[in-house]
Amino acid sequence: MAEVSHKADFFEASRVSVADLELRRKLENASGRHLEHVAAVRAAFPPFEAERDEARRIKQDAIEHLDEYLIALKERLEANGCVVFFAADAAQAREYILEVAKKNQVKRVVKGKSMTTEEIGLNNALMRTGIEVTETDLGEYIVQLRHEPPSHIITPAIHLSKEDIGQLFADKLHTPYTAEPEELTAQARTKLRSIFLGAEMGITGVNFAIAETGTLVVIENEGNGRLSSTLPEIFVGVMGIEKVIPRLEQVSHFLEILARTATGQKLTTYTNFINGPRRKAEIDGPREVHVVILDNGRSAMLADPVMREALYCIRCGACLNVCPIYRRVGGHAYNSTYPGPIGSIVSPNLFGSAAGHLPFASTLCGACRDICPVRIDIPRILLHLRWKATEGQNQLPWPAAARRARKGARRFASMARHPRMIRALAKIGSWMLRPLARDGWIRWMPPPFNAWTKIRDFPRPRPHSKRASSDTSA
Amino acid sequence: MAEFHKLLARLKGALERPQAAPPHENHTAPAQVPVATVAHRAELASAFASELVDVSGHFLGNLTASEAAARVASLARESAAKNVMIGEGVVTRMSLFSAALEGVGCTLTKPRGLDKGQEKIRAAMIDNFANCDIGIAEAHYAIASTGTFAVMSAEARPGSLTLLPPVSVIIVNIDRVVANLAAALAAFGADTIATNRVSFITGPSRTADIEKRIVMGVHGPKKLYGAIIWPEHE
Repeated sequence: MAEVSHKADFFEASRVSVADLELRRKLENASGRHLEHVAAVRAAFPPFEAERDEARRIKQDAIEHLDEYLIALKERLEANGCVVFFAADAAQAREYILEVAKKNQVKRVVKGKSMTTEEIGLNNALMRTGIEVTETDLGEYIVQLRHEPPSHIITPAIHLSKEDIGQLFADKLHTPYTAEPEELTAQARTKLRSIFLGAEMGITGVNFAIAETGTLVVIENEGNGRLSSTLPEIFVGVMGIEKVIPRLEQVSHFLEILARTATGQKLTTYTNFINGPRRKAEIDGPREVHVVILDNGRSAMLADPVMREALYCIRCGACLNVCPIYRRVGGHAYNSTYPGPIGSIVSPNLFGSAAGHLPFASTLCGACRDICPVRIDIPRILLHLRWKATEGQNQLPWPAAARRARKGARRFASMARHPRMIRALAKIGSWMLRPLARDGWIRWMPPPFNAWTKIRDFPRPRPHSKRASSDTSA
Repeated sequence: MAEFHKLLARLKGALERPQAAPPHENHTAPAQVPVATVAHRAELASAFASELVDVSGHFLGNLTASEAAARVASLARESAAKNVMIGEGVVTRMSLFSAALEGVGCTLTKPRGLDKGQEKIRAAMIDNFANCDIGIAEAHYAIASTGTFAVMSAEARPGSLTLLPPVSVIIVNIDRVVANLAAALAAFGADTIATNRVSFITGPSRTADIEKRIVMGVHGPKKLYGAIIWPEHE
């Protein structure tokens, strides 16, 4: 289960995962085909660009007037019969949900996929009190059986092959071994259906909360979100404060772009509009609906005019799929609930200094900004966070490697004022370095220069640098 | 709620607006269901059918209610379905379906809502729904551009109808096939929150969680059959 701990350093973890050729094959296999498909689906929908602009405009308005829309949302939710709880941080959210579970003598909880409940470490908190918690999204169920956190926002088990999963089911569910996705899915269906029918509480995340109508919109493909919010007597929706959409009609702009970007579908299989508990005489639907609205660092993001844009995110996962870093190291190296480019900007704000190094885990290539359905300028925010870590308010500790690189750059800057010294040093350096090169690249240098070669290779210096000779003749 | 006021104070501080300029616009009035011309309706029906097939649904055809009932009965016979759950119609007479299904020997479950004091048997009712082989429901609207059924729950039309049985049959009246999602939301208007749930259903339950291979029926129906119901005289 994902606890909110970030002990491992991204650079250490990525060194391990980047060398895992099997993991890279799985990641490339999954994301390569996927990207082509997403591009084709987006191109086949002419209003896509206009819908993106409209969605961004709506988000901007929603975030700029968040306080007002949250008041409206709370009133409408309560009018629909929901119980609303505002949680300042993860601990408050966990305590509230535990209290609701205790009051209703809940023994079994079923969960739909929810990043926000991962963020608050809910599963462990529930399990510590003896409650049985089952993740019911197939990918989440698989990683839960492995006692692992998800490695991707949309496809949590992206790092596993069908053979891995077949073995896992044979070991844990005692089903006959198979590596056929159809059969594995059928095995999971049988197992999970009986769990659904016995659970007293269902918990899911919320994709959009409509202030005008007090509607929670939960989207999914499998039907587990629908089951979690239909069968158990108690339903809890957990959402960040940024999920508010002012009006009902506006949600269509988001739904038109979200699935196209996330999975390459026109619409997800199930788009659920939940309007509170079951009404008089209705058979299914929960008796109680609780809505936990979570701040947990988001209001601090709102206070930073550059960061604020990160709250527009609709969690489609597209920036992960295009990111050249994510595609090579996978989600676990980030060691955060939110990996990839978007994770690198929101994690330091949600989890504090433990994730402070993530803004440095990027090449700033800009692919994330280009694919983002609401056009979040992720590279700009990454730079902003790096600036904050180095020059700024020093709110975030920054990684040792970056600190050394900066020191090195400063020294270089002071030396560069003396052209003769630079030329001399370059000559000595090139003479010393050439024997270290293999196939044109230097993969190791002695300290302190290993700060560079730990992370990237250094090109082999040419025997007679042209620049050096032309400089001399000038 | 102290926490809520503290949060609002944090947000107000974070936003630091000189003065609040509330951009709230008027609530949208519920739009009328647009009655399209026959040619336009045929176009919407054909677009819907091709999108439904595209998301791995099966299109039973443009049928009259009695034709659709006969098709569903033969479907039940072919798949050896015993228990069939059938919801209340929106505009279609579902008794036609009941008669046809009983004709092929199916046992019918017709949810009729909970009376006072029946809360205790709710779990048993849901177990019964879960044991049905086919669920038959009528959608409020269908969306042509995405092949989506918009199903609104009600006491005699529970969400379980299109969720628990492994085979789902959803019909929709041709007058209720709309162009896109925005049109469907406008058509629902204020009624969107009249009951606890509106589900937009686009194809059978699916997953791509194992090596991104698409598999149907992971939690909800494995098969989804759709039909568009036309009046007898057209």
